Amino acid sequence: MEKSIRIITIAVVVAVGILAWRYFFPSPERVIKSNLADLAETVSFEGDEGNISRALSVDSVGGYFTQDVELEIDVRGYIGRQSINSRTEIRQGLLAAHANLKNLRIEFLDIHVELQPDGETAVANLTVDAFINGERAMLQEVNFTFKKVEGKWLISKIATVKTLSLLDWLPHGERLVSSFGSAA
Amino acid sequence: MAKDTNGSTLLRWLQIITIGRNPAFTLVRILFLVAGVWLVYKFVAVPIKVQGPSMLPTYADNGVNFVNRLAYRWHDPRRYDVVAIAHSGEHRLLMKRVLALPGETIEFRNGKVFINDELLPEPYLTPGFPTSWTIAPQTVAPGHYYVVGDNRTMPEELHVKGQAQRRRIIGKVLLWKNLFVSSRSRS
Repeated sequence: MEKSIRIITIAVVVAVGILAWRYFFPSPERVIKSNLADLAETVSFEGDEGNISRALSVDSVGGYFTQDVELEIDVRGYIGRQSINSRTEIRQGLLAAHANLKNLRIEFLDIHVELQPDGETAVANLTVDAFINGERAMLQEVNFTFKKVEGKWLISKIATVKTLSLLDWLPHGERLVSSFGSAA
Repeated sequence: MAKDTNGSTLLRWLQIITIGRNPAFTLVRILFLVAGVWLVYKFVAVPIKVQGPSMLPTYADNGVNFVNRLAYRWHDPRRYDVVAIAHSGEHRLLMKRVLALPGETIEFRNGKVFINDELLPEPYLTPGFPTSWTIAPQTVAPGHYYVVGDNRTMPEELHVKGQAQRRRIIGKVLLWKNLFVSSRSRS
């Protein structure tokens, strides 16, 4: 009896230790996924938000990107080909969205992070599902390139991926994930 | 006395109906049932909600369907199969019809599809849905399938179509019509 209690205690201590280690020293993949989740939340907004809250969220978005961030967006039929080359332009774009849209909800799904051999850059392949006023506005596969700047993982490039083309990219092959997915 | 007997009989029947004669056995059955349903939904017939107009008129917007994950375990996708294609993962899928196989040349001429210069019959396109797409011929790369939706009345530039890598095709759409289509989409 005493022996089994000892074994259980050791197992619990080990499990807590692992969890604590993962919490205090997260892997780059975890940090990047967490950054992306925070970014999606920051960019999304509801119509009933106050002006101060909006201004704060727009200001904080800049902190996720490098100064010279590049955006190469090509979404046929929605916004066409767009190219942005700085953090300021992203901020301006977001301010325009706040001014013109009642609400915006962004979801980043199926995030797969691949750390590059240099350890200083990483590419996150994910699906962006965007809703404006409750209606789907965009469903697009996107690559986010991250760069480690002063210990922080910042987005240095965002580029759309053509899912139906010869140049598509799926780093880990097929995955068995879906619960109640949706098809468009 | 008779009332008490009736009361206990009723309680007994209530117990049998709700948790069975042997509650422990019922619990085991429930666990097996839940595990079975989970395994089937995850690895065999993945439930999906169809959203968007790209597969009209064959598959209505907001309907429910299933993707058969085992369909291409023993053979590759075939022409006319309606398949589910993964984006970066499988929480959002594209639902399209396979028209051209690897190595074939596909062309749209005034709404008609030609494979290797031969007209492709498309019986699933109803006469009430006219189309005039014209797309230059392209040869499908090895390991790829040319996929397109059934709704050719959409402007060609708004319709997502093209060559899908084999590994992105996760399975075949199981039912030939969607289930539980909401009234909103039917109107």
